Amino acid sequence: MTTDPHPPPHSPAGPPPPLPVPADQSPLVLLDLLYKLKIRDVMTTPPITVTRKDPLRLARHLMREHRVTGLPVAENGRLYGIVSMDDILQALEGGWMDNPVEHHMARNVVVLEDDMPLAFGASYFDKYRFGRFPVLDRNRRLVGILTSRDVSAAVLVELLQEFARLEARLPNPTPPQTVPRQTALQFAVAPLDFERAGRASHEIKRALSDLQFDPRLIRRAAIAAYEMEMNMIIHSKGGRLTVRITPRQIELEAHDTGPGIPNIAQALEEGFTTANEWIKSLGFGAGMGLPNIRRVSDEFSLQSSPSGTTVRATLFCPP
Amino acid sequence: MKLAELARELQAEILHAGRGFDESEVRSVVASDLMSDVLLVDRPTPLIVTSLASDQVIRTADIVGALGVLIVNGKNLPSNMKTLAAETGITLLRTPLPKFEACIRIGRALDY
Repeated sequence: MTTDPHPPPHSPAGPPPPLPVPADQSPLVLLDLLYKLKIRDVMTTPPITVTRKDPLRLARHLMREHRVTGLPVAENGRLYGIVSMDDILQALEGGWMDNPVEHHMARNVVVLEDDMPLAFGASYFDKYRFGRFPVLDRNRRLVGILTSRDVSAAVLVELLQEFARLEARLPNPTPPQTVPRQTALQFAVAPLDFERAGRASHEIKRALSDLQFDPRLIRRAAIAAYEMEMNMIIHSKGGRLTVRITPRQIELEAHDTGPGIPNIAQALEEGFTTANEWIKSLGFGAGMGLPNIRRVSDEFSLQSSPSGTTVRATLFCPP
Repeated sequence: MKLAELARELQAEILHAGRGFDESEVRSVVASDLMSDVLLVDRPTPLIVTSLASDQVIRTADIVGALGVLIVNGKNLPSNMKTLAAETGITLLRTPLPKFEACIRIGRALDY
């Protein structure tokens, strides 16, 4: 918000460079940070202030001591203006260093509110090219000051944490493997074997991670594998889960030995289930298995007869 | 908000602190007792809030790359659930709060 459409420049020695975080071009992870963080998380608080009656000499002393280039003029939390290095330079030239701050401060000040997202604050540095913005709370009391340095430091800290998180998720630091022309893995799945349920999918996920596929693709493939595995455990007489991996696609196939799906159209409807209460008590049998597999795959097929069911899901790798 | 901070807010026991527990930032939450519904949620690294105390919760968390699992209602856990959490590196928390209240507190903490 601004109290003046043409605020006076209360920035010293020319405008600071814009922040390197344009809201429309930054990576999503950065935008996410800029919207998640509030200005109050990042601002310098409490701000160093002077009062209206303080001489410019004191303002200069405080700026030097705290290595800042501008100070809000405030009394009991109320903001009256801002005094900048420019004002001090003019006072030095003009010889009025002992005048009270109020005669020389900028009165129309662009301010931010503490519960605005940081993205908003960052955009102000581009929009107004000032070095700092006083921050007010909901009751219009001065609670802090936001400098471009505060923004950069906060973004850097958050990004480093993000990197640490990404690194922690990477497989062990073995040299990167390239996807061989074709890899196939096969797992036996036994009926009602809840003890081992999910192991095949876990192995498939790990193999795909080792081959450094895109994490989103791995996630989709793992979901399909898991639903296939659970379907066979819950409904079939047993079968096998096969994954064939090439650089271009991941093909998953669940093949069981019966008893078959009586009504395929019904089985593909979301929410249709034949699972019993015991299976539901394990968190499954909500009738989402086949629809989920279809949702995450690029190609899906299903054949079923009393002698067995084959579900095939193919996911294409983005070029 | 950090997962560790949120755990304190929920008076949760840390049954297993998984990979990067101290730095993990909670960005999305899915509250469900149906693992198929959890699999449907298309957000990276969710925190799973559930009253389902079963190994399959950890398996599901592993599959979707969850940040962690919060068991509500102070449920007793099957003996190998903790072992599985340790094997897969998934953070496992347990709060005495009922699910509704846990969700409200999470919502407040995350400014929903």
